[in-house]
Amino acid sequence: MKKKILAMTLAAVMAVSLAACGGGKDGSGDSGNGGGASGDGVNITIFNSKIEVQEQFEEMAKEYSEKTGVGVEVYYSNDTVAAHMATRYSANDPYTLSMVDAKDVYSLAAEHAVDLSDQDWVSKTNYAISVDDKVVGFPVCIEARGLIYNADAIKNITGKDFNPEDYKTTEEFAALLEELVAGGMAAPTAVMKEDWSLAGHFLSETYEEQPEVEEFVQALYKGEADLANNSKWNAKMDTFDLLLKYNYAADSPVAAEREVSEQKLAEGEVAFMFGGNWDWSMINAYEYSENMGMMPLPQTATDGTNEKLVGGGSKYFFIDSSDNTTDEQRQAAKDFLNWLVSDAEGNAFLTEKCNLVPAYSNIDAQSLDPLSLSVKKYADEGKLIANYDYLPDDHYSKCGASFQKYMAGQVDRAGLAAEIESYWSSTTPVEH
Amino acid sequence: MKTNTMSYKCKQFAMFAGVTTVVFAAVVIIPFLYGLYLTFTSWDGVSTQKPFVGMANYVSTFADTAYWQALGRTFIYAIIAVILVNVVAFILAFLVTSGVKGQNFFRAGFFIPNLIGGIVLGYIWKFVFNRALVALGESLSAGALSTSLLATSGGAMFCLIIVSVWQYAGYMMLIYVAGFMSVSADVLEAAQIDGCTNVQTLVHISVPLMVSSFVQCLFLTITRCFMVYDVNLSLTKGEPFGSSVMAAMHVYNQAFTYKNYGTGQAEALILFIVCAVIGVLQVYIGKKAEVSA
Amino acid sequence: MGMNEKAARNKKINHAIKIIILVVLFICFIFPFILVLLNVFKTKADITTNPLSLVGEHGFTLENFPEAMEKMNFWRSFANSAIITILSTIFTILLSSMTAFVIVRNKWKACGLLFGLMIASMVIPFQVLMIPLVSLYGGILGVLSHRATLIFMHVGFSLSMATFMFHGAIHTNVPVSLEEAATIDGCRRWQTYWKIVFPLLKPTIATVAIIDAMAFWNDYLLPSLVLAKKELYTIPIATQVFYGTYSTDVGLIMAALVLAMLPILILYLFMQRYIVEGVTSGAVK
Repeated sequence: MKKKILAMTLAAVMAVSLAACGGGKDGSGDSGNGGGASGDGVNITIFNSKIEVQEQFEEMAKEYSEKTGVGVEVYYSNDTVAAHMATRYSANDPYTLSMVDAKDVYSLAAEHAVDLSDQDWVSKTNYAISVDDKVVGFPVCIEARGLIYNADAIKNITGKDFNPEDYKTTEEFAALLEELVAGGMAAPTAVMKEDWSLAGHFLSETYEEQPEVEEFVQALYKGEADLANNSKWNAKMDTFDLLLKYNYAADSPVAAEREVSEQKLAEGEVAFMFGGNWDWSMINAYEYSENMGMMPLPQTATDGTNEKLVGGGSKYFFIDSSDNTTDEQRQAAKDFLNWLVSDAEGNAFLTEKCNLVPAYSNIDAQSLDPLSLSVKKYADEGKLIANYDYLPDDHYSKCGASFQKYMAGQVDRAGLAAEIESYWSSTTPVEH
Repeated sequence: MKTNTMSYKCKQFAMFAGVTTVVFAAVVIIPFLYGLYLTFTSWDGVSTQKPFVGMANYVSTFADTAYWQALGRTFIYAIIAVILVNVVAFILAFLVTSGVKGQNFFRAGFFIPNLIGGIVLGYIWKFVFNRALVALGESLSAGALSTSLLATSGGAMFCLIIVSVWQYAGYMMLIYVAGFMSVSADVLEAAQIDGCTNVQTLVHISVPLMVSSFVQCLFLTITRCFMVYDVNLSLTKGEPFGSSVMAAMHVYNQAFTYKNYGTGQAEALILFIVCAVIGVLQVYIGKKAEVSA
Repeated sequence: MGMNEKAARNKKINHAIKIIILVVLFICFIFPFILVLLNVFKTKADITTNPLSLVGEHGFTLENFPEAMEKMNFWRSFANSAIITILSTIFTILLSSMTAFVIVRNKWKACGLLFGLMIASMVIPFQVLMIPLVSLYGGILGVLSHRATLIFMHVGFSLSMATFMFHGAIHTNVPVSLEEAATIDGCRRWQTYWKIVFPLLKPTIATVAIIDAMAFWNDYLLPSLVLAKKELYTIPIATQVFYGTYSTDVGLIMAALVLAMLPILILYLFMQRYIVEGVTSGAVK
């Protein structure tokens, strides 16, 4: 008897749920992203690809919804941005507003982005992205790469205030490192082994600091560029070798854990690490030193590149242009972007809550973290070398792998240059 | 009632397997066929256009040396992992059926790794290899341990294999336990009386009677090892210098990170064919052995 | 007498060796779990400094838990995971056992074809189906972001393996004579199945239940593709915010691990007896 009841219950559960499955199919009409479904206003979805501000975005979404009546939901995915966008678009369920990297704007905008040329904020920034003469990408912030330093740790040993401008060349920098070691700092540098840092951030500076960037990249594609004898390449690699030599994980550089490196830097156990202002979100989890900052990577150069950071606009919002998004949603998204730039609260959200270096001339930012303050200073002085946004998608992983081999001592500098050259010559050029 | 008419058969089949057939077709077969179609297009994954390109993706698959390297690597990994998993599982099964105290407790304990998903598991082990073992090595000042195994190409493969053994051995152990228990006590007793040693009994009596367990375990481990992805991603990410990228990860990168969707799909299909051939061959040989045993 | 004593002593030594090997292996097997438990009560800084210390410099802390729970919206994710896991498991068991029954007992072409396809599908890498699945169900049918859709897919993907296991179990553990007796008693096939066959499959049901429940509970890739709405997130998707490329919070990850593992661990301990029995008997063929 009991079994019969059990069987019947199971059958009933099954029937109900199958009906639910069927119901799901019938209800296809409202399965988009809720195009203005709620009674009192529009709902928009935002895709955030900066994990370190996810919390701030969620908080802001709540407050923004309360104030404006526009429902905002913020999403994050730990898949790569490109892969995540691919799944959302193939599911016909894109976000109203998506925060993506520059290269994704170029690949997605032609088909999927709304023209934002008429927006007020366009005149207030130098960093917006245009495709086919239409402004499509809203720059979220400025980020830059360079050498992160811990001034307190250095002062502890040298006894003098650290002035980054005194160390522009590899020789000057080498002398300082030697002094630090002599003064008792076992290993004054940390080197990240992540492929995005090695190839995406460090190696790409070699291209970005060429006198003619585009020409140089095209020569790489054609297999005509001579990397091994390029002065910029060698200047960069001289400094890289130095960082590697004094690296706390010199025994096994490819084993360095990012958390450990950041902690050592924050707490002054090491004094230098190549990175960017986004590293603050890691550093601030530890007992960080008060005086930290970012400086240009020291290198032997006469073209002024050792006085500038490399960077610019980072992370861009674009608004979806497909039928899955209604005009009301698009308007709400535009309003949101304007709020960020033109409203005092929006400004405060970007700079104070999220600690982002604003990409807009009208936004003042006083309370940034030390690294972002350095970036802002260089940006304000016009000392930023622009990002090259057209690197192929597999550049960082493939060249990063080659770089790791170099770190592990499996190839020498010439071998590394050869691997990078052969990567480029076997890759289809990115159209732009 | 007639049971050999067509309408009876149809009714019976629909009653018991109808829903299954529909769900299975909808979730597996149809998407599979659609995926097959996509291998003949140059779709990038996000575009609304899916231009037909014929065999071009298969041509570029054959030209993709990184893919064949990854596949070769997967072979090496799979062979070692499959052997180790089954050896460890078999030993465990032998020990926990030999009548030691608390054998149920041990059986449960060895099964525990199966309770955690691949992604999470990879992160725990990364932590073990990168931090815990290194901290241990430093405190014992044992040179070999004080650098992370994950930093060398051989080491990363080794770690992947260790984790796979750890992950699957408990599960396979249970299947072997079943095998041991299906060997009837009478047979074993008879062997003992005939003067067989423990080892002889194991090799000449138990093992031949457990062929079906071997077939099942091998099938499961082979297919799982060839399709390894989660642990690969969370444990090594293919590092260092791309030396631990397995086939499934290469496929994923090709399709999504490098946006060659069609090529990725074509490569995945070849991986499927490899898995299927090996899997079927293995079962076929196993069944033959079973018959002759 | 001496011989017997020696044999007894040998046996004892043998037994001791076995126990020692088992204990050593056992420690290896649960070492990672110990490590998680060791670190979940420390702050991030302490974990980075020394992952092996019993207590961090900043002392014992429970902070990781509430923070992780809040960030992953634990109770909502838990409810989603539970509903999806329970329903998917029930359907998988009902459908696959019925299918296995009809396949085992009849030599029809349709049965052979279905079973063959199912076995073959067990070696399809998920990557092959990922985008087609999303394009079909999202792009064409527009039914993604429903729990029912995910349940439907979970069931679809797990049917093969489950049918395979029930196939073995029915083949070896359910005597045809029992069914024949029932038929003579006037039971139709449907009733025979529910009254006679299904109850006999209990151990296999327990096995399939725990294996599939574990797979559903832990699955990341499929739910991440299907559930695009926050309110539908399951535990594995809700914890992805802890694993950023540019920042990871180990303390939270540890706490999330424990939280995600706990329910399944409790279920496991609860069902342990059946599982060990179940895998055992289900695997006989």
